[in-house]
Amino acid sequence: MSKDVKICLAVVIVLFVVSVVLSIIILRPTDKTMVEIVQDNHVLYTLDLGREKDRSFRIEYPDGGWNEITIKDGQISVTDADCPDKTCVKTGVLRSETIPIVCLPHKLIIRFCDDGGSQ
Amino acid sequence: MKAKKLAELAMLTAVALIIFIVELQFPNLTPIQGVKLGLANIITVYAVYKYTAKEVFLIVVTRVILGALFSSHISVILYSMAGAMTCLAGMLLLKRAIPLKYLWLCSILGAVLHNTGQTVMAVILMRSVAAAANYPILIVTGCIAGLFTGICAQTVLKRDPRNAEKS
Repeated sequence: MSKDVKICLAVVIVLFVVSVVLSIIILRPTDKTMVEIVQDNHVLYTLDLGREKDRSFRIEYPDGGWNEITIKDGQISVTDADCPDKTCVKTGVLRSETIPIVCLPHKLIIRFCDDGGSQ
Repeated sequence: MKAKKLAELAMLTAVALIIFIVELQFPNLTPIQGVKLGLANIITVYAVYKYTAKEVFLIVVTRVILGALFSSHISVILYSMAGAMTCLAGMLLLKRAIPLKYLWLCSILGAVLHNTGQTVMAVILMRSVAAAANYPILIVTGCIAGLFTGICAQTVLKRDPRNAEKS
């Protein structure tokens, strides 16, 4: 095993361990209830999941396309969309503070936010 | 370019495309965007160690463009291209330092670079750092997937009698 290989191996091991630790931190569920829905860097809605009733609504994307958003039992998720990959639907309900629900084709982000700007 | 070489490269591209399309049919293991096995990269890693930089570049570019067309995921071509190019550039450089025996190591670093390229592209396109939130998770899964594809490519290269004297 040459020196170059050893360096690469060390880099990989360090990267892996650090990422595992960070992943565990990221995947912890949050106790926040404020959620914001952002499209193309503009905040469309700010919702308090603790107070929201169960409902569904549709968000249109100006360039065509839509996402169907559902709030149920204090949890928010994208239940349908007309994008080809449907990643936002597969993401399921929003749980983690650091991983938002993202729809790349429609530039839509649903994420937890601070209580500050409650409406 | 000789006809034989052209045919070889075309065949590898076809194999990579088939693997790519078959993999699309697998259900997602996790809901996290960007997590996948990337089995088509077996061909990329294999080609990196067997062909010149220009030839591998041709294979990868063709595979990404045709893959995007066949899978009707054309909107995500920028992401796949960014990932594939960072991965390829990194692996071509690493090839000089890492011998064939440790090809899996090169593949892991390639997978990590692939995820890095995609994340950077996502941050640029969405103009939001939030797109990088699951980056650490992508590195973890990238390491595992990269190790797997690397071992596959290494096994294939070893079985090829034409490479026996080189390794």
